[in-house]
Amino acid sequence: MSKYLFVYRMPQQEKQEQRSPEEMQQMMAQWHAWKEKFSEAILDLGDGLLPTGKILRASGVTDGPFVEAKELLGGYSIVEASDYNAALEVAQGCPMTYAPGFSIEIRELAGF
Amino acid sequence: MNSPDSSSAEASKETSAGGVAEVTFRHEYGRIVSALVASFGTADVESIEDAAQAALMRALEVWPRKGVPEKPGAWLWVVARRAYIDERRKLGKLELRCEQAAGDRSHSHLDVDGSRARGETPTTFPDELGSPELQRLLLCCDESLPAKTQLVLALKILCGVSTRELALRLMTSADNVQKRLSRGRKALRQAFVASAGGKLPELSNSELGERVPALQHVLYLLFNEGYRSALADKPIRRELCEEAIRLTRELLQSALGNRPSSWALFALMHFHIAQFPAREAGGGAVVLLEEQDRALWEKPSIEAGLRYLQRAIAPEDFSPYHAEAAISAEHCVAERYEDTRWERIVELYELLEKAAPSPFHTLNRAIALSEWRGPEAGLSLLETLNPPSWLSGYYLWDATLGELHRKAGNAKRAVQHLRQAAEGAPTLAERELLEKRMASIKEA
Repeated sequence: MSKYLFVYRMPQQEKQEQRSPEEMQQMMAQWHAWKEKFSEAILDLGDGLLPTGKILRASGVTDGPFVEAKELLGGYSIVEASDYNAALEVAQGCPMTYAPGFSIEIRELAGF
Repeated sequence: MNSPDSSSAEASKETSAGGVAEVTFRHEYGRIVSALVASFGTADVESIEDAAQAALMRALEVWPRKGVPEKPGAWLWVVARRAYIDERRKLGKLELRCEQAAGDRSHSHLDVDGSRARGETPTTFPDELGSPELQRLLLCCDESLPAKTQLVLALKILCGVSTRELALRLMTSADNVQKRLSRGRKALRQAFVASAGGKLPELSNSELGERVPALQHVLYLLFNEGYRSALADKPIRRELCEEAIRLTRELLQSALGNRPSSWALFALMHFHIAQFPAREAGGGAVVLLEEQDRALWEKPSIEAGLRYLQRAIAPEDFSPYHAEAAISAEHCVAERYEDTRWERIVELYELLEKAAPSPFHTLNRAIALSEWRGPEAGLSLLETLNPPSWLSGYYLWDATLGELHRKAGNAKRAVQHLRQAAEGAPTLAERELLEKRMASIKEA
């Protein structure tokens, strides 16, 4: 078994598209269904990320949010799976891909 | 955040908190908007809607990870109020009163220039209309606005019905809904600004009373949206119906709203909701009245409806809701479809047409008439009707004509109309139903 990092990305938008309360309720139900279904695989649901940030480079420090990026990092989770296919299966059930522009990047942890 | 060991404990905590099922986002949305309007007035309704939206989105991010908080309503309120204040501050429009209303502990410096918290007091209403949510709804029922705009305003602002859903429901474009919304918001803002000291003028009892019919209409449409949803994949939305019932109950509990027409509306809702299990039994597709298993009807709801209809009886105050409730009652008390007293229903549709003239009611009367006197009788009534273009282009018009022609044995015309209807059907479930009908004719 290996560990995989799920990185959630979302489109950078001035204003979020309006959703009706029912749609949001449905998304909540999807989250729950996902958590239940893969409760063994999901080692750590992780956290969300605030839109602020800083980058340190040799040239100095830059403040976020990083307007040049079209996508924002929204959060992360850590999942256990036997291979990429299995990890992909977990990701496919995840409601974080509910809208166009949202994505999950899946990276295997090296285990150093 | 969660170590593997704590995740199961986290999960069980969540279940004990009731999970997601007990939090109704629509209900919370309405409550947040009501409360923000109460605190900050109607100067910027759009920011208030955004704040309610933001709070629910935040819940969506946090709750799956942390579990649903013990008091979800309070959690959402804190987040929404903060979002509203932040937004106003960003716009540079943060009035002192907002700080004050937000309960800022260090507000002593605010009094330095002597300005008191102007407009801190929300719009006040006489006690006759107790529920704050109803009061907020009444605010939208401003008679200086066209009825449709009042409706858009109330459904969007207080019930969170999306622009897309509203456009489908009101048979208009999303642009039109947007225009009505912005005009409505502007009127609310003007009323807020025009009133001295940033307070809305107190509405008198008679003014409030005059707004009750508009409020009833909003509740009726809210229920309808749930009963025959505009969402393609969800023909019934029970939560909207329950919200409408809850608000109507509050209306009945108020001195001003407790009137025969409100009871009739309440009865109507109960007759309809009694049929839900049977309507939904088709697994996603709506089951027609004719084909419903009446054993699935919820008897207690029907009995409640009959009781409420009894309370609605008032010869001097006959509303369209009376007629509609009486029609539903006739259906509900018939043991079998064949037992329906169609002559009585035809009569009631005539009364309904008198109380609220609409070719739509005539269409329904034609259906009842065809059950009573045969399809030809229904068809000849429709022939005398000169339908306005919105009706002749509406799928239910073709669906009815198709059905009556089918029963009269005119296969060709039946298929023609049913095809037209299927093309215009707003939900997948209804289209499937019409296509099924079409197929049954071809086979015969």
